[in-house]
Amino acid sequence: MTTGVLETEFAGRRGPLFRLALKTSFLTVLTFGFYRFWMKTRLRRYYWSSIRPGGVPLEYVGEPMEKLLGFLIAVVFLAFYIGIANLILMFVSFALLGGSYAAYLVSFLGVIPILFYAQYRARRYILARTRWRGIRFGLEPGAWGYAWRAMVHWLITIVTLGALWPRMTFLLEKYRADRTYFGTARLHQGGDWKMLYRPFLPLAAGAVLTGGAIGAGAALDPVALGGLVVTVPLMIYGWVNYRVQSFRLLTDAKTADGIGFVARPRRWRVLGIYALGGLLIYLSLSLLLVAMIFAGGVLFAGVFAQIDLLGGLDRAFDTIPAWTGALVVALFYFSFFVLWGVLTHIFLTMPLLRHYAETLRITGSHALPHVRQRGRDSFAEAEGFAEALDVGAAI
Amino acid sequence: MTTIHVSDAPDVARSFADFFDGRRAVARRADIKIAETPQGPELVIDAPDRDRVHWRLEDIRGVPDQAAQGELVLAHAADPLSRLVVRDPDMRRILTARCRNLKYRPPVRGKGRLALWAGAAVGSVALIIFVLVPVMANQLAEFLPPRGERALGETTFEQIRAALDETGMAPLEICEAEEGRLALERMASRLTQQVDLPYPVNLYVLNHDMVNAFALPGGLVILFRGLIDAAEDADEVAAVVAHEIGHVAARDPTRIALRSAGSIGVLGLLLGDFAGGAAVLFLTERLIQATYTQEAEAQADAFAHRTLSQAGIPPSALGRMFRRLRDRHGDATGIIEHFASHPALGDRIAQAEAADSALTGALRPALSDAEWRALRRICGRS
Repeated sequence: MTTGVLETEFAGRRGPLFRLALKTSFLTVLTFGFYRFWMKTRLRRYYWSSIRPGGVPLEYVGEPMEKLLGFLIAVVFLAFYIGIANLILMFVSFALLGGSYAAYLVSFLGVIPILFYAQYRARRYILARTRWRGIRFGLEPGAWGYAWRAMVHWLITIVTLGALWPRMTFLLEKYRADRTYFGTARLHQGGDWKMLYRPFLPLAAGAVLTGGAIGAGAALDPVALGGLVVTVPLMIYGWVNYRVQSFRLLTDAKTADGIGFVARPRRWRVLGIYALGGLLIYLSLSLLLVAMIFAGGVLFAGVFAQIDLLGGLDRAFDTIPAWTGALVVALFYFSFFVLWGVLTHIFLTMPLLRHYAETLRITGSHALPHVRQRGRDSFAEAEGFAEALDVGAAI
Repeated sequence: MTTIHVSDAPDVARSFADFFDGRRAVARRADIKIAETPQGPELVIDAPDRDRVHWRLEDIRGVPDQAAQGELVLAHAADPLSRLVVRDPDMRRILTARCRNLKYRPPVRGKGRLALWAGAAVGSVALIIFVLVPVMANQLAEFLPPRGERALGETTFEQIRAALDETGMAPLEICEAEEGRLALERMASRLTQQVDLPYPVNLYVLNHDMVNAFALPGGLVILFRGLIDAAEDADEVAAVVAHEIGHVAARDPTRIALRSAGSIGVLGLLLGDFAGGAAVLFLTERLIQATYTQEAEAQADAFAHRTLSQAGIPPSALGRMFRRLRDRHGDATGIIEHFASHPALGDRIAQAEAADSALTGALRPALSDAEWRALRRICGRS
């Protein structure tokens, strides 16, 4: 067991990532969003190359242009669906129900199969463009199969009030994993869905107690709402715990032609990253806001200082062109948007990725030389649907 | 005479690197060296169990955006799969200096295809926004029951109030001073006495300087305070309201609102939620500035003339107000744009004045003096 173990190193650092994310977000804003395909590609290259199982970096070989093409293809199809379907739904909703909320709901429900479809396709695209040791990953076609299974599992989960959530987690992961390849080696998801119940317990307890507190608060005594102080943190802890532990159990149960995995992410560490990262992002943005208000104040004071010279408020404001106001607002808005994205990368995405990478071990590496290259999976629309529907991967 | 040839590169640059041949998942420790050949300098890669690989330095490309600092990941322009990972600092320095195309990116392939799909995307969006959605909206507007129209109008009204708000805090204020509201109600009932509409007409005043008015589905007619301030008497306001009721009766706003419902989703899709929010605001603004077809305007005018005459209000009030606003502000004011962006403004003023001849009964001002004063104060004292 100890032979052929590969530890995973992580080479990403905040400084270079900050510069890359800032530069590319800035260009994205300047190009009215068109550079986002390049931004995504470059950030992925950076993140992928940060992850180094056995000291060899992953490589992301996706191209910005194929993403742009995929987006255009998705627009052609989705424009019809969304434009026409939205209109009809809006009509039906107002005609029959006298309100738009039903339309939004039905419109959302109608998009769900496409969301799952897009998610699977995006995963296939990303895996097809990921390499390690020069060998491509891959995911077999099967997006519609995934979409209907996902919907059935969600339905079952909702009907059972979440009691079968772990079953859904496991079976959907198994569907994806069993179709995943590294070169010629096929991944296999072992284990079964009941193993996820242990890590699910705190989340379930948190949800039940929270529901109970709200119910009791509404029906009996508002004092019961005080229980939320305990139950909500329990639910948050339960959620993170479930995410971390289910990842760990699922990864440990995966094999690929003699290659195995050991994942040891720690829930408290992940919680800590969320807490600290969230705090740092919040503080940085508040600082930015204060700086902007201060700058705005200085600007305004400058204008008022001119009033005496010009003799009159009206005249003073006449000297500022009307568009400056819009420009200042736009500047505020975009600075916030850009900085928020960049800070999320350096304070959340990267630390989380680093933790998950550094706690991942690959076993049975003596089986790696048997892994051979697989053919190129060239599909035109890349992750266009996911991009258009905004359900792409976190990065 | 002897010439001593001095090369700027070291005679033998050699080192070790990890080579991945792109066929098997094996890292091969390769012996690499730079050799000068008649075809130019090349990198010779000698890996165990592999034929010797020759990469001309000018064909070597660096893999971009790599996280690791002390490492150079190299590829060959003609071989998309092989990778060479160089860690030796001296070798890295030499290769960085001598591989002149290290940062060269190949030209984009499949430009034609990209252009084709870009055309298709623009085409389909244009088809949807300018043809399919309007055609469908026109058809569907006929079938929307009154209750649905009303709900659509109310939803749209909320959106417009939110879009027009400049404070970012609450929707734009509706003016509701009691006596002013009563005056509005009186005006509405006088103008709709002879009109058969499936819903009551409700007039609202928004506290905004814009000199404008618009109609929403389901009998909502919205005036801006600016319009009341700019009017010289109640007849002028009534004339504008009558025109807007004409649009309501013809279901023009219903068509526009359904059209925007279809277009908003598509624009959101194109621009992403970030810029999409701005697009939604823009479209909502368009609802106010809605430009109807010339036919629709003519019909609304005719409707207004009829209604005003029946109510004993001179239709020429509409022409009078247009003329004054045009003389004072030019063609670019909100209401002039809305009512009069068509070339036939002169005609319309003339028609409004001609319609006075159809007046049969006695003239009765749209509101009494007291009511008109109350209406002018509907947004509080200003």
